[in-house]
Amino acid sequence: MFSLIADRRDIAAGARAMLPWLVGVVPFGLVIGLSAAQASIPTLAGWLTGPLIYSGSAQVAVIQMLDGGAAPLVVILAALVINLRLVLYSAAMARHWRGSPWWWRLVAGYLLVDPSFAVGLDGYDRPTNRGRAHAHYFGGAILLWAAWLVAIGTGAVVGAGLPGWLQLEFVIPLYLVGEVVSKLADPALRRAVLVAAAVAVLSLAAPLHLGIVLAIVAGIAAGLTARRRSPSPQRRTPPRLTEEPHSTAEPHSTAEVAA
Amino acid sequence: MTVWIVIIVAGLGSYLFRLSMIMLADRITMPAYLERATGFVAPAAFAALVAAAVAAACLELGATRAAAPLAAVAVAVIAVLRTGSPYAAIFAGMPVLWIATALLSA
Repeated sequence: MFSLIADRRDIAAGARAMLPWLVGVVPFGLVIGLSAAQASIPTLAGWLTGPLIYSGSAQVAVIQMLDGGAAPLVVILAALVINLRLVLYSAAMARHWRGSPWWWRLVAGYLLVDPSFAVGLDGYDRPTNRGRAHAHYFGGAILLWAAWLVAIGTGAVVGAGLPGWLQLEFVIPLYLVGEVVSKLADPALRRAVLVAAAVAVLSLAAPLHLGIVLAIVAGIAAGLTARRRSPSPQRRTPPRLTEEPHSTAEPHSTAEVAA
Repeated sequence: MTVWIVIIVAGLGSYLFRLSMIMLADRITMPAYLERATGFVAPAAFAALVAAAVAAACLELGATRAAAPLAAVAVAVIAVLRTGSPYAAIFAGMPVLWIATALLSA
């Protein structure tokens, strides 16, 4: 384990490594807060998706689908399909957290999401001792968590006070348009996006908004088949972390926050 | 009430996903295609949500009243293609939405 005092340098280093991610994460949190304030669900419920679901893309789906009147079970199903990737992150971290106290695994696991996974893995890849790598993970993850909840809260408070003619309920769809369109340059992502959109429109009449879930699954499958055909060099890190069209220097994670 | 239950259950499920492997497994190698799949989850989900929202709005509002949101989305798409920045969608789309709404209701 690590000590909050003795390992404060590693905690600070982890927090610093998280800073570039916050550039994408904080605006996304603000937008989610705004949409929670505008949606037909209680604003506090919208904010609670932050600490409870703690994954931006799943939170957007839950807020949008509840607002649209989808059946409860289908909303849960959509959130779980989107968050199924967390099992993979969990598997990747299991190796590093093996043998550590159960309370650490409960806390570190709770904080596990795309940006904290990326920043944390960097720490474990370095040849330092495990305690210092835990500190590095914790520093990044706790900063992300605090920034995320503050951003959603700020968005919700600001959104509640803004006049209706601003039609802020359109901020989320437009934000999603931006995220989707900026992914079109990558052939595999383009395929995933187009298939998901097409299936969503075609299955609009499907009962209970099940079409959304179907569309997400179809989009993922389409992306996978595209990737298999065009051979790409083996990557060590998961695709999302390296595949961002404008990434490298600045891990513009946005969506993935807590994606 | 259901809203709260949905959020709590979705949250609990997500937490169980997070804990799954770190609590159960010591060392597990995931199939490579599953790892690749993670990169497609958010884009596919976003595309599905926005396409369904736009299509539903068109059916619900009818041609004339859907014109404002459709114009906003169209301008947003062009703005993102031109600038390459995802946020251009909001900064270009919202003003178009306001202006189009004002024009249509005038």
